[in-house]
Amino acid sequence: MRAIIKSIAPDVPFLAPVHILILSVIVIPSLYVAWLSLNASTFGQTPTFVGFSNYVRVLTDPAFLRGLGNTVLIVVFAVHLELAIGLGMALLFATGLPFRRLLLVVVLAPYAVSEVIAVAMWRFLFDPDVGPITVALASLGLPVLDWSFEPSHALAVIGLLTIWLHLPFTFVILYAARLAIPKDLYEAALIDGASTYAAFRRVTIPLLGPAIAVALLFRYIFAFRIFSEVWLMTQGGPARSTEVVAVYLYQEAFRFNAFGTAAATAWIMVVASLILAAGYVLLLRKQVVGHAH
Amino acid sequence: MRIDKFAVNVGKAVAVGAIVIWSLFPIAFIIMSAFKPGQDIFAVPPKFFFTPTWQHYDKLWSDWGMFFNGLANSTVVTIGATVLAIATSTSAGYIYSRRSGRFLDASVLFLVIVRLIPPIVVTLPLFPIINAIGLNDTHVVLIVLYATFFVSLGTVLMRTFIDQIPQELDEAAQIDGASRMTTLRKIIVPLAAPGILAVAVFVVVFAWNEFLFAFIFTSTKAKTAPLVISEMIGSIDGVDWGVLFAASTIQLIPVLLFVILMNRYLVAGLTAGATKG
Repeated sequence: MRAIIKSIAPDVPFLAPVHILILSVIVIPSLYVAWLSLNASTFGQTPTFVGFSNYVRVLTDPAFLRGLGNTVLIVVFAVHLELAIGLGMALLFATGLPFRRLLLVVVLAPYAVSEVIAVAMWRFLFDPDVGPITVALASLGLPVLDWSFEPSHALAVIGLLTIWLHLPFTFVILYAARLAIPKDLYEAALIDGASTYAAFRRVTIPLLGPAIAVALLFRYIFAFRIFSEVWLMTQGGPARSTEVVAVYLYQEAFRFNAFGTAAATAWIMVVASLILAAGYVLLLRKQVVGHAH
Repeated sequence: MRIDKFAVNVGKAVAVGAIVIWSLFPIAFIIMSAFKPGQDIFAVPPKFFFTPTWQHYDKLWSDWGMFFNGLANSTVVTIGATVLAIATSTSAGYIYSRRSGRFLDASVLFLVIVRLIPPIVVTLPLFPIINAIGLNDTHVVLIVLYATFFVSLGTVLMRTFIDQIPQELDEAAQIDGASRMTTLRKIIVPLAAPGILAVAVFVVVFAWNEFLFAFIFTSTKAKTAPLVISEMIGSIDGVDWGVLFAASTIQLIPVLLFVILMNRYLVAGLTAGATKG
């Protein structure tokens, strides 16, 4: 132990700032939340230990379950649709396009847009009275999205918005991985008489596998914590029907001052994220271990 | 064969067109609408030719003066968070690149995992603490929060970039009597500039656009631009779309140009950040 301390002592001043930030802002508060989740507490009241009853309350609260359902819906639909679109785009780019660099910049543009502005755009484009998309759909005799009253329509609009905001990330990960596949493999497949489809099945997909998994895990983790898009679009309404887990947590904590249940919700989010993170770490270990000295 | 190739090219052109419209239409729509006079904003199909006007900007200036305070706050917070994140991640990334050992490897893994904890979780305990120490509604809170949520990624990225700098260079400097701090400042930082820019893109975009922390931890003095815009969206006496689009355009243009200019570093950062641990 002493040897370890001695050997890393000169490194400590360089590492300390990052670790102090992380410990004081993320790790210790998260552990405190864990403790809080086992207590009943609100403003100006000493917490009393209640065991797992906050978790029981949260997990049996219909509002939480609906929030969880909505979150899972967004994660499952939006993330997979986004992956499919991103993959298609990455393969299209890899076939060689004119103005490739310019197109790449175009695809990256939504990365610069804040959630607030994206919501402003979407609320206008889909506005039930004056929105251009609503008016266009109506004039073609198509059904319009009545997202301010119909929860499923609201979730569809939020899902679309989330895809729009995060597609640059998914696309870049997949495109970079596709570019990393050596050309020889395709030439070899061609010489062996493989069709384009066979080459796609036997070369592209297996070699893109790790990148697809990484992109998916990251997007699961980030989509699971979705807050701003939903809050700014519907505030979880009407009647809490479009809440997601993070909005439920916000309501419990900052509207109802129910810190115990809010903390339990927070830890449910942490555990879910860490389970996904474990998958990510295993993947990294398996494929790269790339940091050779 | 020729017809096949032609069909393929047409298919590709259609796909590319769809991608361009999907990515740019919403952005172009906002920016154009911010200059459209009165009712033209609501014209369907959208008007592409109109007499540009500054009327929404005048109204923004007279009715929403605090938006400009918000921009100033956003600028301070973005610069502060970027400097803090870069300084801390570069020095940690340097050590992680040059040294190894069980303890250090474990602590990198720890950084990677901690990065995946949802930010909303920490608002719960930090809210009363920040109030108690009187830091509520200050720039410092946002600077520290924004930097902290990017130092993990920043450290991993800096390590990856510093790995590409030959170790012989720092050894030579150290033989000449340079301390590790001097080596870091004089040798590593200039050569790791692409890595620093990659980290900067992430932090700048995040800090400039962030909503959740600003919403919870600021109220008046330190309120950022996105928060003011969100208030315009939620305005009770109906949304003034022209003014909202004018504010959105002002908030969006700088960060959009930044991302366009830095696209190489963004791509490098996204790829390295997701696939290196």
